[in-house]
Amino acid sequence: MAKKTPIRNRPKNLNLFTIRLPINAVVSILHRMSGMVLFLLIPALIWALQTSLSSESSFDRLGAMFRHWTLKLLLIGFSWPFFHHLYAGLRHLGQDVHWMTTLNKARFSSRIVLVLGACSMLGFAYYIW
Amino acid sequence: MLIELLTKKYPGMRLWLTQRISAVMMVIYLMLMLIMLAIKQPHDYASWFDLMSPWWWRLLTLVFFASLFTHAWLGVRDVFKDYVFNLRLRAVLQVTVDILLIAYLCWVCIILWKL
Repeated sequence: MAKKTPIRNRPKNLNLFTIRLPINAVVSILHRMSGMVLFLLIPALIWALQTSLSSESSFDRLGAMFRHWTLKLLLIGFSWPFFHHLYAGLRHLGQDVHWMTTLNKARFSSRIVLVLGACSMLGFAYYIW
Repeated sequence: MLIELLTKKYPGMRLWLTQRISAVMMVIYLMLMLIMLAIKQPHDYASWFDLMSPWWWRLLTLVFFASLFTHAWLGVRDVFKDYVFNLRLRAVLQVTVDILLIAYLCWVCIILWKL
C-alpha cells in the first residue's frame, strides 16, 4: 500500500496549458465531449423525425431545408461528434472484453479512431454534397 | 461471475452494463437502418413512410430511442458527477435532464403511435 498523503497536501497542477494529453486521453475526452454534443442534438433529431413523417408537405419542407448549404455544413459538422462517439465507443467495448488493452495497442487503436472519424466525416460530406 | 457482480452489492455494475447494452442496441439499429435505406432507397414521402410505418420497425425504433435516452441519461449523469461539485446544483441539473429525457420518450411515442 502506498503511504496516504493528506488530501490537502497533494501537489496540484491546475494549469491545463502545461499538460500535454496523451492520445488515449484525447480520444477519451473527445468521446465525452461528443457525447454531450449528441445529447444536446436529441431534440433536433426527434423534431426532424416528426417533421419527416407528419405529412407530405412537411417532408418536402424538411428536404428543402436539408438541401440548403448552411444546413449541409451544419450536418457535416455534427456528423463528426457522431462518428467519433461511435468509433470511440466501439473501441471501449473492445477494451471491455480485453481486446487491444496494452499501452501500445491502445495508442494504435486511438489513432485508428481519430483517422476513421475524420475519414467518415469527409465521406459523409462527399455523399450529401 | 457476471451474475454475481450484478447483485445489489454492486449497483454500479448494472449501470455499467446498461450503458454497454444500450450502446450495442443502438449500433444494431443503425446498421439495420442502413440496410433498410439501401434496400428501399426512399426518395419521397410515401416511400419513407412505408419504410418507417410497419409495426415491427416502429417497435425497433422505439427500442432504439429508449436505448438512446438510457445511454444519454447514464452518460450525462457521469459528466455531472465528475464536474458539478455543488450537490444542490447537480441535483437540479440531473432532475432537469431526467424530465427532459422522459418528455423526449413521450414525444417519440406519440410520433410512432400516429404512424
